[in-house]
Amino acid sequence: MIENELRPLSRLGGTPTPKGNIFSDYTAPLFIAWQLNAECNLECLHCCEEAGHQMPNELTHDEIMDFCQQIVRAQIPYVAISGGEPLLHPDFFTLSEFLRRNKVSIKVETNGTFIDHEVARRFGQLGFRSVQVSVDGATPQSFEKLRRKGNWQRTIDACKYLVAAGVNTEIVFVPTKFNIHETGDVIDLAYRLGIYGFYTGKTMQIGRAAQNWDILCPSDTEYEQFFKVLSQKQAQYDGKMKVYYYPDDVIEELKYRLEYPSTSLLVIPDGKVKLIGPLPFICGDLRKHRLAEIWERYQKAWQLTHVRAFTQKVINDSRLLAESNRWQELSIN
Amino acid sequence: MMQFAEHVQVRPEKFGSVIFETLCEKVFVTNKTGAEILRLLKQHKTPEEIIAQLAHDYGCSIDLIRNDVEEFITNLTNHALLKNAHK
Repeated sequence: MIENELRPLSRLGGTPTPKGNIFSDYTAPLFIAWQLNAECNLECLHCCEEAGHQMPNELTHDEIMDFCQQIVRAQIPYVAISGGEPLLHPDFFTLSEFLRRNKVSIKVETNGTFIDHEVARRFGQLGFRSVQVSVDGATPQSFEKLRRKGNWQRTIDACKYLVAAGVNTEIVFVPTKFNIHETGDVIDLAYRLGIYGFYTGKTMQIGRAAQNWDILCPSDTEYEQFFKVLSQKQAQYDGKMKVYYYPDDVIEELKYRLEYPSTSLLVIPDGKVKLIGPLPFICGDLRKHRLAEIWERYQKAWQLTHVRAFTQKVINDSRLLAESNRWQELSIN
Repeated sequence: MMQFAEHVQVRPEKFGSVIFETLCEKVFVTNKTGAEILRLLKQHKTPEEIIAQLAHDYGCSIDLIRNDVEEFITNLTNHALLKNAHK
C-alpha cells in the first residue's frame, strides 16, 4: 500500500512536525503582503500605515518588476497588493498583468476611489482573486468622518462596477466609535450589492489608529454588541455571502505568531521587509537581498532574543504597538 | 478531464507539496506520494493512468493502490480543489 495524505491546515501553525506545519518547512513564503506605495488620496483616521505622501526612495519600476520575477520563480502562490492607495501607483497594472500571466493569485486592497467602469473591466479581465474595497460605514456621514476626503457614494459605485464586471468583490469594515453601530447595515448593503465576502475584526492600535485611539476605539460593550451582530449576520447569510470576522485582537495574534510565525512576508514601499505588521522590525531589503535570502533572514529573525523579548513586551503593554511604524533594521548573520 | 479549481495553487515542497486555495485562503499539505499524484493530475492524467503510473513506480499491483489514489482524488474533489472539467 502506498501512503498518501491530504491534510488541511486551519492556520499555518499548529503542531510542529517536519511536514509543513511550521514556517521553516517551506522553501519560500506562501504569501506576500506588498504595500506598493505610501501615497493615498485619503487621510483616514485609522490608517495603520499612516499613508498619505509618497515614501522617499520607493522601489523603481525595474526593481518592482525584478521582485515580481523573483515571486514567480519562487512559485509564491498568492500576493496581496495594498498601499497607500495602490491604484495611484503607475506600475500597478503592469505588475499585476505580469503576475497574473504567471498564474499568481492576486488580491488588491483599495479605497475604491479610482475604480470606474473601465478599471473594473480591467480587473475582470485579469482574473484577480479578489478586489477588497474599504467600506467603513452604511452612511456617508460615518464613512466620511473616518475616511477624511473620502466619498461614500463613489466607493459604493466602485463596488457596483466591480460586481458588474464579474470581479470577486469583498468589503472590509474597520469598526470604530463612529461606525460600529452600522455594522449590520453595512453587511446588508454588501449583500444587496452582490459582494462575495465581508471582512472585519477589531481595529488595530497601529499607525494613525494608535494616534487617534481615544476617539476611535469602541468600548467593550460596543465590541460585545458588534460580535453579536456579526454572529447573527453570519448565520443569516450562510451560503449566500461570506461574513468573516477575526475574533482576536492584534495582541492575541502576536502571542500566536511568537510561537508559530506565518509563512508570509510583508514588503513596504521602499523594498524593506517587515517581520510582521504590528512590530517595528525589518528583516530584509529587496535592494540588498534576494527573496530566498530574505526568507532565511525572516526565519532567523524570529529566533533573535531581542525580537522575542520586545514582542513579549508588546504583548504585556499594547501601547508599544505605536512603535510599529518606527522601523528598526535587525542585524542578522 | 480532472483539473484544479480556478484559485488553487500547488507547489512542491521538501515534505511533499502544499496546496493553497486562495479564494477561501485554505492551505493543505501532502506527503511525497500525494505530491506525485498532484504532479500527474497537473499533466491531465486520468485516475486510471495515475494508478498505473504509481503501480509501476512503486512496484506494486494496481489493485493494491487503487483505493488510496481514488480516495486521495475524492478528497481533493470534496475540498473543491479539483473538479471534473466535463461537468
